[in-house]
Amino acid sequence: MRPLHLGVLLALAWAILAFAFLLLLAKAYGKRRMYSKAAGDPVQGARYAFTKGMAPWAKESVMMNLPSYGAGMVFHAGVFTAFGLLLMALLGLRLPSILLTAARLLTLAGGFGGFSLLLKRCLNTQLRGLSCPDDFISNVLSSAFTLLAFLCTFSPVASGIWMAEAILLLIYAPLGKIRHCLFFFTTRYHLGAFFGRRGTFPPGGSSHA
Amino acid sequence: MPELDELESRLESLTAADFQRGLDVFRGKLKEAEASYLNSCVHCGLCASSCHYYRMDSILENIPAHKLELIASVFKRSFTTMGRLAPGLVGAKPLDKEMARAWVDSIFGRCSLCGRCSVNCTIGIALPRIFRAARAALGAMGLVPSDLQATVDNSLKFGNNMAMTRQDWVETVEWIEEELQMETGDPEAKLPLDKQGAKILFTVNPREPKFFPLSLQASAKVFWAAKEDWTMASDPGWDLTNYGLFNCNDEQAGCITSNLVEAMARLGCQTLVIGECGHGYGAARWEGPEWLQKSYPFEVKSILELMDEYVRDGRIKLDPSKNPVPVTLHDPCNLVRHGGICEAQRRVLRQATMTFTEMTPNREHNFCCGGGGGQLAMARYKNRRIQSGGMKAKQISDSGARIVVAPCHNCIDQLMELNKEYKLNVQIKTVAEMVAEALVPNT
Repeated sequence: MRPLHLGVLLALAWAILAFAFLLLLAKAYGKRRMYSKAAGDPVQGARYAFTKGMAPWAKESVMMNLPSYGAGMVFHAGVFTAFGLLLMALLGLRLPSILLTAARLLTLAGGFGGFSLLLKRCLNTQLRGLSCPDDFISNVLSSAFTLLAFLCTFSPVASGIWMAEAILLLIYAPLGKIRHCLFFFTTRYHLGAFFGRRGTFPPGGSSHA
Repeated sequence: MPELDELESRLESLTAADFQRGLDVFRGKLKEAEASYLNSCVHCGLCASSCHYYRMDSILENIPAHKLELIASVFKRSFTTMGRLAPGLVGAKPLDKEMARAWVDSIFGRCSLCGRCSVNCTIGIALPRIFRAARAALGAMGLVPSDLQATVDNSLKFGNNMAMTRQDWVETVEWIEEELQMETGDPEAKLPLDKQGAKILFTVNPREPKFFPLSLQASAKVFWAAKEDWTMASDPGWDLTNYGLFNCNDEQAGCITSNLVEAMARLGCQTLVIGECGHGYGAARWEGPEWLQKSYPFEVKSILELMDEYVRDGRIKLDPSKNPVPVTLHDPCNLVRHGGICEAQRRVLRQATMTFTEMTPNREHNFCCGGGGGQLAMARYKNRRIQSGGMKAKQISDSGARIVVAPCHNCIDQLMELNKEYKLNVQIKTVAEMVAEALVPNT
């Protein structure tokens, strides 16, 4: 096995273990026992939170910021595609040409989407005021990883840099805000369960309704 | 302003023990869900436009993510490894005087705990749950604005938040009863007090007997028309308000909730009915059992649900032509978004009015009127409260309605101020007032 491939695997193992540890730490805070009588179904609420509740039209904040939302969606699609390409590279597999074209489009758009958000963070005074170094580092690591994935689909020359970048990204991911790739799911579940129990999610789902 | 000086001098006198106590209380309020929320914010800033404070004053301090970050930075510094090892990298900061000052200004002074940011957050962070934990921590450090705390203290001392004496309350009820009898022409129309074994214990906001007796009279008229078996308590247990929801001292909030629970047991009622009050409903229905750490042995309902049942079951008949003026509905955050009661009031109003128009947005997407979260009790933030209410004023104005129905007495207070400030030229009423007006006399 090539040293960089081994490095990526070790970094991946670190990321998985660290994320598992973070999840355990959060779980160690304990569940809240509820004494009030539910008016709705927490599971239905969570289901809504992960489906219709995530639709752009379900959020005024998204509808008012569609370019940023679009950039974010493309960015995330690109990052996930880049990880798919990384897995293929580690396994020594090649994509069929139609999938390769799609992967190139997604990683290119994702990389630019990520850097456009970084630019926005740098230029917008209020967004800069919200940010700490972690916000910039996380974005740069993810965007560069995505763009390098795109480049590597054309030339294996860049693959060494890409692998090294992947190692950095995987090591850093649990330490900074990239941990939201894990906590997004738990957070959204808790939000959905909270509003589901109270009958607010899904709309019209309350026993009060 | 003495309040300003008092809070500032308290901030200046904070000791290391105070900060530690605040942190301990904060930590004690966090569960798995909150720990998840505090690890999730990506600082995208899209939540900004969901906040009525930001919409009316677009500064960094009003962005929900900024308010959250003030708290998350302390969480990271105090309770996470990365926050301790590399605070500068992840934005971790200690809880010190400056941070405590920023917390007070942010979560007491720039947030009504309305939760609109929660449903608009791209991740799904229920920010008010975190803000409540932080308010509790500030309370443990003696940093609750004194006028907000005074409202809680009134409830603890007098059994109601306006310090009404038992005599004042009972005499007011008797006077309203006479008015009701004159209005209905029925000498048997009653506002029963302490009726043992009544099916319903009805609770009111002390603002009703104190300033809005017609509102209580309207509710009583609806009960009279429905031939309901109901009562109110003369001793503590008649006031539905609980500002413990806002100072976030769960112990004090639980004591206030106990008044209701004890009145239910004392009078042997089956259903606790909460009058038109958003936070009162949220406190009694949702938070009360959590504060007391036990389930109620009785049912809790809003009077809105009850009126909806009366209409549905034909116990009251309504003539919408008696309310011909265009009407719109305000959705109190604690009743609708946090309370789950969305449709009952709408069904009732459609039956009771000729022209019912929705505000945009509405239901769980409603804008806070600006008076929630204890804002009405904190004089030091009055200017911000009135300014942030501008979003609601615009909604009302855009609706074209001449009557705004608000099933919440705190909201009504704020809406009356907005009415004056923004020259809306509308009437503000409760749902019960609209229903009482539309009642068709029993034949």
